[in-house]
Amino acid sequence: MTKRKFTTMSAAASLALTAALPSFAQEADPAKIIRNSQQAFFYQAESFRARVKMTLTSASGSERLRELTMLRINMPKGGDQRYFMYFHAPGDVRRMAFLVYKYPAREDDRWLFIPALNLVQRIAAKDAQASFVGSDFTYEDVSGRDVEADKHKLLREEENGGKPCYVIESMPKGSASYKRKVSWIDKTTSIPLKEEYYDVQDQLFKEFMAERVMEIDGVPTIMKRTMKNVKSGHKTVVEFSEVKYRLALKPEEFSERTLRNPPGNWIK
Amino acid sequence: MSWARKFSLVEFSVEHPRLVVALTVLLSLAAITQFPKVKTDTNPKNMLPPTAEVRVSNDAVERTFGLYEDMIVVGIANESGIFNQETLGKMKRITDEILKTPGVAARDVASFTTIDNVTVKEGTLQVSPLMTDVPNNARELEGLRKQLFENPMFVGRIISQDGKTAAIYVPLEKGANGKAIADNIREIVRREGGPENYHVAGDPVARDTFGAEMFKLMAVFAPLAGLVMFAVRYLMFGDLFLSVVLMMDAMIAILWSMGLLIAFGFPIHIMSSMAPVFLMAIATDSIHIFNEFYFRYKEERNKKAAILKTMEAVGRPVRYTALATATGFAVLLFMNIIPVKVFGGLVAFGTLLLRILSFSFVPAMFTFVKEESIKKASQGEEIGSSRASRFLERLAGLGAHRPWTVVLTGFALFAVAVAGTTHIVVNNNMVKWFKKSSEVRTADRVMNEALGGTSLGYLVVDSKESEEEFIKTPQALLYIEGLQRHLERLPYIGKTTSVVDYVKRINRVLHNNDPGYEKVPESKEMVGQYLFLFSMSAKPSDLDNVVDPSFKMANVWVQLKTWDAKAMRGVIEAVRKYQQDNPLAMEIKPAGIAYFNLIWNDEVLWDMIKGFLMALVVIFAILAVNFRSPKWAAVGYVPLLFTIILIYGAVGFMGKDFDMPISVLSCLSLGMAVDFAIHFINRFRQRLAESRAAPTTESIEEALLWTAARPGKGILRNAVLFAAAFSVMLFAPLTPYVTVGAFIVAMMLLSAILCIVYIPALIVLFRKWLFTAEEV
Repeated sequence: MTKRKFTTMSAAASLALTAALPSFAQEADPAKIIRNSQQAFFYQAESFRARVKMTLTSASGSERLRELTMLRINMPKGGDQRYFMYFHAPGDVRRMAFLVYKYPAREDDRWLFIPALNLVQRIAAKDAQASFVGSDFTYEDVSGRDVEADKHKLLREEENGGKPCYVIESMPKGSASYKRKVSWIDKTTSIPLKEEYYDVQDQLFKEFMAERVMEIDGVPTIMKRTMKNVKSGHKTVVEFSEVKYRLALKPEEFSERTLRNPPGNWIK
Repeated sequence: MSWARKFSLVEFSVEHPRLVVALTVLLSLAAITQFPKVKTDTNPKNMLPPTAEVRVSNDAVERTFGLYEDMIVVGIANESGIFNQETLGKMKRITDEILKTPGVAARDVASFTTIDNVTVKEGTLQVSPLMTDVPNNARELEGLRKQLFENPMFVGRIISQDGKTAAIYVPLEKGANGKAIADNIREIVRREGGPENYHVAGDPVARDTFGAEMFKLMAVFAPLAGLVMFAVRYLMFGDLFLSVVLMMDAMIAILWSMGLLIAFGFPIHIMSSMAPVFLMAIATDSIHIFNEFYFRYKEERNKKAAILKTMEAVGRPVRYTALATATGFAVLLFMNIIPVKVFGGLVAFGTLLLRILSFSFVPAMFTFVKEESIKKASQGEEIGSSRASRFLERLAGLGAHRPWTVVLTGFALFAVAVAGTTHIVVNNNMVKWFKKSSEVRTADRVMNEALGGTSLGYLVVDSKESEEEFIKTPQALLYIEGLQRHLERLPYIGKTTSVVDYVKRINRVLHNNDPGYEKVPESKEMVGQYLFLFSMSAKPSDLDNVVDPSFKMANVWVQLKTWDAKAMRGVIEAVRKYQQDNPLAMEIKPAGIAYFNLIWNDEVLWDMIKGFLMALVVIFAILAVNFRSPKWAAVGYVPLLFTIILIYGAVGFMGKDFDMPISVLSCLSLGMAVDFAIHFINRFRQRLAESRAAPTTESIEEALLWTAARPGKGILRNAVLFAAAFSVMLFAPLTPYVTVGAFIVAMMLLSAILCIVYIPALIVLFRKWLFTAEEV
């Protein structure tokens, strides 16, 4: 609580400074803003659980549904994380489970349990920009992108949906699925409220929107988000429910054994 | 009534020539102001209205499976194989540049660096682009080669069997200009240079290149046709002023009708781009006025009187030929194809304008000519001294003196021609609209030899089973697989791709890359989990392109090695056969650009046949009204039909496809070729009536020979001029223009000769029947 108060106060202070000394505000470090944003987006609390409903809508309006339970734990050191995803729907993928060990600066480890073959299959994670389970989100969109992979620039500060935001442009240093990304980052919560992705032709092709943000267990959480491919007309809506932070989870519970026998107390 | 009005128009024009000319010039200037607003449309899709069944169903299939209307295929060929760092490096750079090109649907470009590959290496499954970076050493090169050739989804699609040609598939966003993008890609590959050869193919390239060429061609050929006609006319009459008048006559009609078309907001398309040449050629009908004027002037020695007498003599046939020609084009207004309707209306309108000008502007201009130049010009116009007239007299004499020989020879030729027509093949192929050596056609040929095919059709397999997600059942997958193998037996089918190929691939990869598992797995559950596994990291479009989200429908991609419309017809027949032999509650519907090409090809064709039949009836009716006798109409009809059968016989024997341009021409040819019969029979009967002799064998023969020598000269001049205008098209680099040129040149010359030989023969043979009937 005290921490939160401090954030609010510093935000208020920076706002006051912005008003008084606009040139000073330009000094705000965009990489730091992004780092804070990633922290607020992907690392909140030490563990997390949510029931996730993904609705994939094609340009013609037909829908595909994915339902899963997601568990996350932050490892004690170096920003490593472990994710566990258990699929409830569609019907024929029930009991499929996905385990990810995430390392900020190198390739993830991923395993998938395929019940029909009773097989745990290791999956390469070469392409972090590949689609996540056929949605418009990439693996990066789901679990974060290395801050150092892009060059960040503060374009301006403006309100988005009534909330003061930093508008930051990120240009990948290497090759990426986009040429540049523009993010609107809430100054108060550090949550990205909106992102625009521009393709190699420098045309807007993907648009992210945080549509509903709620405070759960004291953590501002995006409960509903949309990623829309404006060029293909395809879009994905992700809705969280049964969100809980700071669970009594242990890193050992994220293992190959868990893939075959998911922890019943977290997954219903 | 109308005759009286027209007649007074001539008198008015002769009395007030300056006013008439000033008015004409003013209207022409008004028409010119409309030209900057010109819009063009070269997309064959717009030949059918947006509500056409095939367009609606194709749009639905494209939406369901997230497909693109248009795709360009880029080929990169290296004689010593593409598996070397240089060629692969070029491929990577070319792909990167293509992705940056506006109008390219970058997210779905399929190239070595963008296509998803499913592999397993040291127990790790990987779904990722086939080649992220150019291989660094021989071992990596070998690895890439192995990956490509071990995956049947790649061989024949992005790599040729011999490893010498690779392909990049470039889908285009809706409304993108295929030629502009193709030009851009050609520039990109040009910068990369050899020793590789590059080829850019695909429907949008052919279509939009054709569109661009078409306007360039018309900008060159319409004026060229005008120039040729001007020169030929000058040689015929030796009078510059009158040649100019005729040229102006055509130009004015073109300006007015095109100006009006543009003013109404119609776009110009391939057909209406030919309208100026048609109008120029149709304008040559006024040659009959000039022809007669010179003869009359020699008799009258008074300009005004000669003009009035001339118009009195030729007014009736000129009006009826105009009516017949306009009708031939106007029947096109009843067709379904929009650009054909526009073209028909445009030329019909222009033809009527030409006729109005013949009765106003042309006589008005006559009044400005100096008497001496007319005298000089009319010097040669004497039946006795004119070589052309003597030749025509002999030609008509052949028919009149040996009618049986002529008619029997005709029968023999007719029989041969009919035999030829049985060889006619109905087909249309847009790539063949380019000449063999053209870049577009070469690219297409090379790519089709090396790879699976540049023409794309789809077969949508729709389950009628009540079971949900039926496509995931092994039963459905085996059915689709069977269909693919069945189709691949057709010689012009290079490759088929479906969801089955993905399922089989994953099955193999999940079983340690064991080729024995390259097959459909045994349970629906497995299929579902395999596909889910695949979609965990593949591009969403990979699966979207081959199955609908509810797994009720599957989309089979069929690559054809030819743009022949008849190839897709063959595919549809093969599908029907497969369905009969393998009954399962699955509906299979064709779609895609190859299917569209088949449908609009058939649509144009049957439309034209309908139009042809309509024109046959209407033109017979016009002849019957004009001659006030169906019997005379029948006589006038014979040379016309004979001409058309002879041309079709030749088309059949030459093995030329009966395609869109030919079918359009058959419809138009009637209205244009009938003119000669109208002139001949009208003037012959006028002559007979003037001589007040009883229709005896002698008087008939005399009148026939006179008709052949005097108005016949006009007919021959008309035919030669008409043919001259279209002969320039023979040198066009696009085959439909060559076809149109050859067809019309042949038709004009043939129908003129047949008219002068066969009408006399028929009149002599059937004189009793013809003349008794008239007197009764």
